Order: sequence, then structure tokens, then C-alpha cells
Amino acid sequence: MVGVFVLLALIIFVAGVFILGGQQNRFESSIRVRAVFDDVEGLRTGNNVWFSGVKIGTVKRISFYGEDQVEVEMNIIEDAQRYIHKDARALLSSESLIGNRIIEITGGSPQAPPVQDGDIIQVEAGLDTDDMLATLQRNNENLVSITEDFKELSAGLTNGKGTVGALLTDSTLANNLRTMVTNLQQTSANSARASQALTQFTSKLNTPGGLANELLTDTAVFNKLQASVAQLEQATTSASAMVENLNQATGKLNDSDNAVGVLLSDPDFAKRLQSTMQNLETSTEKFDQNMEALQHNFLLRGFFKRQAQQQNTEQEQQ
Amino acid sequence: MRKYVVTRRLDRLFIELYRIYNFVARFFKEVFLPPYEFKEIMNQCYEVGVRSLPLIALTGFIIGIVFTNQSRPSLSEFGATSWLPALISIAIVRALAPLVTAIITAGRVGSSIGAELGSMKVTEQIDAMEVSATNPYKFLVVSRVLATTFMIPSLMMFTILVSLLGGYVNVHQNEQTSFTSYFVQVFDAITFLDIFSSLAKSFVFGFTIGMVGCYKGYHSSKGTEGVGKAANSSVVTAMFLVFIEELLALQIINAIRAM
Repeated sequence: MVGVFVLLALIIFVAGVFILGGQQNRFESSIRVRAVFDDVEGLRTGNNVWFSGVKIGTVKRISFYGEDQVEVEMNIIEDAQRYIHKDARALLSSESLIGNRIIEITGGSPQAPPVQDGDIIQVEAGLDTDDMLATLQRNNENLVSITEDFKELSAGLTNGKGTVGALLTDSTLANNLRTMVTNLQQTSANSARASQALTQFTSKLNTPGGLANELLTDTAVFNKLQASVAQLEQATTSASAMVENLNQATGKLNDSDNAVGVLLSDPDFAKRLQSTMQNLETSTEKFDQNMEALQHNFLLRGFFKRQAQQQNTEQEQQ
Repeated sequence: MRKYVVTRRLDRLFIELYRIYNFVARFFKEVFLPPYEFKEIMNQCYEVGVRSLPLIALTGFIIGIVFTNQSRPSLSEFGATSWLPALISIAIVRALAPLVTAIITAGRVGSSIGAELGSMKVTEQIDAMEVSATNPYKFLVVSRVLATTFMIPSLMMFTILVSLLGGYVNVHQNEQTSFTSYFVQVFDAITFLDIFSSLAKSFVFGFTIGMVGCYKGYHSSKGTEGVGKAANSSVVTAMFLVFIEELLALQIINAIRAM
């Protein structure tokens, strides 16, 4: 019984040691990588080393380096060696907001060879809590000024200052706004009706047999229309030529180098024509008198008498 | 009239210290000298170890549950109940398991050793053994001290396991943490130093409990009254010394940790 008891206790102890060792990668072969930091911010021996969020080792040793720098030696399991390249960077981070300090290895290009035992990798400045607090303090100050502005703004709004204040406090404005909204509502209802009517109209346009539809869909009508337009174009061209000719003709009417032009625009010719017409009138009067005299001439009197009689006979017969 | 070197009390104290020194020194002398009382050592191991296991296991399990439950409100104030496994493991492995094991064993075994040896002393059985050419110190003291020295570390391993299981039951009930996740966090929080320092402490506690019980019993007097006194005194002194040793061990371990 005592043997079993002691054996069980030993098994518990050995299992505990093995689990602990396994968890701390004590039994896995590892390589040592170093990094030199300006400030390790409370990092301690045994703290974890992460790569892409996975624990790959622990901090083995922390010692001063040079004037005021700190060299950190890390144990990294060999399985992770091929993922960490020589240009990878180490930065100080935390497991959580209030958790332990860790070293986080990031980056590294695939072109660079994997890190080797004893290599020194570059460090990168991580997020410092003091910096974060300083930024937070600036944010606080900004927040104070923002809230002060907002306080003034809200006081103005309450007192009815400015457009928004008036909008909130002035009842007339509110009524106007309400009316406006009502009108807008009506307008939108009208628009809806108009758009409905437009829809109906366009649907009618699309009805087969309709003029618009024929125009849009019937190719024969389109061809005819094209021919008509062509003819119309010709007619327009002819009309244009005619108008030009007419223009030329009217232009010539103003000139005095042709008969009509002279007739219409030459004042001398008009005077002469007037005097000719007067002369002609005088001549016609005289000729009338001569003819009258001729009718009474004995030689021709018989002829005129017969003619008069014949006319009378025809009238009576009718 | 007797003359005292300093005062009566101080003289008695120094005499007592000298007797203790002799008693302890005799143990280290006798333990390596044959003949070895293997059978008696095994008997005592059975008494101290196996017979104490149910009590220790039950106590450890309850302590695991109670400690987890009592720690939860403090951590939940920070929204950090996920850290319970780490807290439990550190508390149990570093302090609770060695202390609880030592105290329970001191109560159960220390008193019985004191009473047993005390009654043997007052009934002059020890003197009879000496007369019969048996080394009573080797047979009674060495076997018991060796048993407590080696059985208390073993009991402590059981206490650690059972207490962590008790903690797991409580954590699983309240936070639905899986078994694997719980034990990964438990082992993440502790180090080899924690385990080995607790083990070393347990050896010291075991030795102390056995030695105190044996000394008190071996030097009891005044008849049956002395037996009860020896039993009572061995428990009280052993517990007191265990706490003193715990305090000293803490200082030493912290010094090692800081190195």
C-alpha cells in the first residue's frame, strides 16, 4: 500500500514536472536570439516571447549593454526558427492591458534567411504606456474644450439664439415649417400623381399601332419619313435658290441698267414717262375729237348709221 | 540550595535547547547507522501517509473549491475572472498545499506520535526496550521521523492535484472553462521553482512534525497527564514551527527568485 501511495505521488510529481516543462518548452531544443532595447519596461526573465500571437519561447537573460541599453537573450524553440527571418523585429508588448510584459517578434521578409543561433535582431519601438497616457491626457483636454463649446451651443439653443435656436423656440417659425412640410407633402403627392400620369402616357406611347410607337418601331414609316425629309430638304434647297434669284431680281429692280429698274427707280424716267403720258392723254383727246369729226363726215356717216341699226336689231332679237 | 547560571527559567530554556539539539543530532547519527528498521518505517509510512490520504484529499478538495469561490469576487471586480486558474495554481502550489498538508498531518499524526510515545514513556516501555537491547530511539523516533519526512511531500502532491481539481470544479461551474484550458493556465502560472520549493518545504515540515511529536512524547513525564500534555504540545509546537518555517522559506525562495 505504501509503495502504491508513494508511486502515485511520484507519478503526480513527474507528470506535473513534464507538463510544466512541456509548457515552458524546457524539453525542446531551442536557439538563442538576442535583441538590444533602450528600455525593457519591467520585462523579466521567464517572460514569454510571441510570434504572430503564438508563444515560441521565453526570455532567458536580461543584462546591461553598452552605455545604457539592455540586452535581452531569448530562448526560441527550433520549430519556430524557420518562420523568423533575419530582418524580423522584436518589440515590447503586453499579454493584455494589465498583463505581463512580453517580447513580440514581427515582420521579416521571406527573402531573408531564417534567424540563426546567436543572432541579434532589430528592435522596434512599441506602444509605451506613458505615451498612451500622454495622448489620453491631450484627448481629455480636447474633450473639455469640446464640452465647453457644446455647453455654449446648448445655452444658445435654449435661449433661442441663432437659426437652430429660433427654430426650436419660435412658434411662428415652427408653424411655418409645419405648413411648409404640409405643402411639401402635397407637392410630393402631386408629383406622385404626375409621375403616375406620365407612366400611363408613356405606356400609351408604347401601345402598338399608336403614332409614336409606329414612328419608333415601324421601319417602313421611318423610310418614308426619311424620303419625305430628303424631298423637303430638296424643296428647301430649291426654295432657297428661288429666294436667291428673287433677291437678285429685286436687287436688279433697284438698279437703273435694265428696263424694269429704270421704270421703278429712275426719277428722270418717271418724269419723262409722266410727260409722255400727258402728251398721250392730250393726243388721245385730240384723236377722239378727230374721230368724232370723222363720224360726222359725209363719207363715213352711212357706215356708222348701218352699224347702229345692226346693233339695235340684235338687241331686239335677244 | 541549587545555584543557577543565569536564572532558573533561562537555565531551563538552555537545558531544553541542548536536549533538543542532542535529540535532533542523534537522529542524524542513528539514521545512517544499521540496523535499519525497514518494517517499522513501512508501518509508520502506512500510518502517516496512506491513512491520512482520505482526510487530506477531502480537505484539499474543499480548500480548492472554497478558495476559488472566495477569490472570485475580488477578481470579478476587475473583470478578471479568467485569471482564476492562475491565481488558484499559484496559491495552492506555493503556499496552501504544503501548509494545509502540514497542518492536517500535524493535527492527525503529530498528536498520535506524541501520545503514543508519551504513553510508552510513562508506562516505561521505552526503558524496557533499552533493557532488552533494542535501540528505542532508532525503532520509535527514526522510523516515525523518516515516515513523516517522506510521506508529507507525497501527501502534498496529492493535495495539489486534488485542490486543483476542486478549483476546476468551481471554475467550470461558474466560468465554463474547459479542463484543458484550466490546466494550461494553471501550469502557465507556476514555475519549477514553485514546485521544488514546495517540495523542499514539505520535507522540512514533515521532519519538523515527526521530530516535535517524537521529542514531546519521548520526554513526557508526570504519568497519564503527561501523555495528554505531550499530544497537545506536539501539535501546537509543530504547527507553530511550521508557520515559522514557512515564513523563513518564503524569504529564501524570494531571494532565489530575485536572482
